[in-house]
Amino acid sequence: MAGSGHAPLRDDPNIILQVKDLEVEFPVGKGAVVHAVSGISFDVAEGETLGIVGESGCGKSTVAKSIIRLNSIKSGSVEYQGHDLAQLEAEPLRRIRPDLQMIFQDPISSLNPRRKIRDVISEGLAVWGDERGSWSRDRIEELMLAVGIDPKYGDRRAHQFSGGQCQRIGIARALALDPKVIICDEPVSALDVSVQAQVLNLLEDMKKRYGLTLLFISHDLSVVKNVSDRIIVMYLGKACEIGNADELYQNPRHPYTRALLASIPEPAPTVDPSDGDIDGELPSAITPPDGCRFNTRCQHATDICFTDEPQMQRIGDEDHYFACHHPVEVSVGL
Amino acid sequence: MSEPQLSVRDLSVRFPTTRGVVRALNGVSFDLEKGQMLGIVGESGSGKSVTAKTLMNLLPRTAEIEGEVTFEGKDVRALAASGQKHFWGVEMTMVFQDPMTSLNPVKKCGEQIAETLRYHMGRSRRDALAEAEDLLGQVGLPDPAKRVDQYPHELSGGLRQRVVIAMALACEPSLLIADEPTTAVDVTVQRHLLNLLDKLREERGMSMILITHDLGVARGRCDDVAVMYAGRIVERSNTENLFSDSRHPYTDALLRSIPRIDQPSHTRLDPIPGRPPELINPPEQCAYAPRCRFAQADCMEAVPESQGVKGMHEFACFHPANTDRGREALASNVAAGETAAGLPVTGYAGGGT
Repeated sequence: MAGSGHAPLRDDPNIILQVKDLEVEFPVGKGAVVHAVSGISFDVAEGETLGIVGESGCGKSTVAKSIIRLNSIKSGSVEYQGHDLAQLEAEPLRRIRPDLQMIFQDPISSLNPRRKIRDVISEGLAVWGDERGSWSRDRIEELMLAVGIDPKYGDRRAHQFSGGQCQRIGIARALALDPKVIICDEPVSALDVSVQAQVLNLLEDMKKRYGLTLLFISHDLSVVKNVSDRIIVMYLGKACEIGNADELYQNPRHPYTRALLASIPEPAPTVDPSDGDIDGELPSAITPPDGCRFNTRCQHATDICFTDEPQMQRIGDEDHYFACHHPVEVSVGL
Repeated sequence: MSEPQLSVRDLSVRFPTTRGVVRALNGVSFDLEKGQMLGIVGESGSGKSVTAKTLMNLLPRTAEIEGEVTFEGKDVRALAASGQKHFWGVEMTMVFQDPMTSLNPVKKCGEQIAETLRYHMGRSRRDALAEAEDLLGQVGLPDPAKRVDQYPHELSGGLRQRVVIAMALACEPSLLIADEPTTAVDVTVQRHLLNLLDKLREERGMSMILITHDLGVARGRCDDVAVMYAGRIVERSNTENLFSDSRHPYTDALLRSIPRIDQPSHTRLDPIPGRPPELINPPEQCAYAPRCRFAQADCMEAVPESQGVKGMHEFACFHPANTDRGREALASNVAAGETAAGLPVTGYAGGGT
């Protein structure tokens, strides 16, 4: 799985964020490094939702955090409005960051337990002053209403709210600085199913109302499909398949994408149950396999998969790219 | 009809707290036939895990328990009172959600399994270790001879959960309770673990209770499914029926609120309004009524009894979905613009309309 190559990058004036050859490594002592992200390239158009899906350890959260430089980047570029965020000095980076907000997985621990939620939501404005963007500190109540939190509870603290309400507060906080891009890292994974749908609908509404671009990270394939225009499937620090959400689920070509779609409790109708028969466990990211990184578990692997890294290639004229030497042929749509 | 293997009658559990009494279970009754796989689904706080822990005698001493639990003719709660040691962990065992916290981090995997065998079955240390290795092979751990000498932190999440399963199976239980066994693992691993549990259950003729919040998991694996809400079983049926012809408005709404993989992206979801009820001093009414699009005046006055065909399809609702009574209730609420509980209703695609 290799997933290197720039084929999926689009030549479109509406591209708001372009990540190119991103590499992230974390030292683990004695000279060893975890190859968390190893050369991934993608872009996001304005107003689009890009879903990133994969199992734990595939690097999806690292990609997200790298975009706003919450972890250091080894190499590669993150282009946002003419700036390379990967190279930016501290002060210019600080000035750009309000544009790029994040919503975290655990709604309760991502809110300061000692502060009133009104202050949590308006902290960004306290830092940047009222002149920035469309919200101001005296309009926080409007913002709370927009996400479905009654402003009369503004003096309460995080522990007095349920998980779903805390995630609404997290969304309000992310919106307060008028961001262009919001990165949502597993925003509904900690929520019960009945509340999950409320939060997903809220994200869709906020996206429309405030013209947002979303990066949506989740391990739940159904959730990702529901919110995304385009989806990247990641495995061990590489992208294996990128494409339009409906097209990708309709005609999954990469054996790993198919394995995921076949492994969920109610498998997608477009794959065969036997596609889910992948062996073993995720290999170590400290010593990832040569060639295609999926070769240790792939049913279709041959010699070439152990020596040559497959490059991203396009399928016809579709917005659909994969990196595999032995893509699974599908009967429809080709 | 033969006696069911497990019979739970009117089980109620209360926890006194400083804020008041939490009514965690409110009259739970169900039967389990030998060899059957029963799924219990529900959201957090619905009482799924409390049910399991009551069966396993794992509740804290402060818990006030009422009701009867009969397992293969034995009164389980009397066993608890008499300090019966070799029942839990032998005849009835449990697998927990998080394999890291249910394993001892400073003991080798083999030792932990052997410990069970030595304590309950009186095996010698050497025999128990040999048996542990054999069990690890049965649950599909590659290279079991090496694994017996490894510590839990040396194994991945999926392998650890297999060790926990091996431990639960060591004394050949006739009922295995699995409480969210695959919630902490990835989908590819989840599939392997559920396949393994299925296989072991068949080989050993074991019964199983699978507790999960994931309706998909329950649908794919269980013979019967019970849906819990606010400490009650609100619907129970064979799996196919429950998903194709649900009666309780909560089940119906739950099924509609989940994003489906076969729907196009950006399909608008139909969430359940509101949030789960408080379990401290709940009013004498249907617990779901405040969130229910079918709610009528009678739902606000009494708790509905279970109705339907016992052992086939039971549900606790005055105005069940997919029935004439339910359709009438929904239509009158849509016409009025709100339910008896004051929930605005503008229209609803569910419930057989």
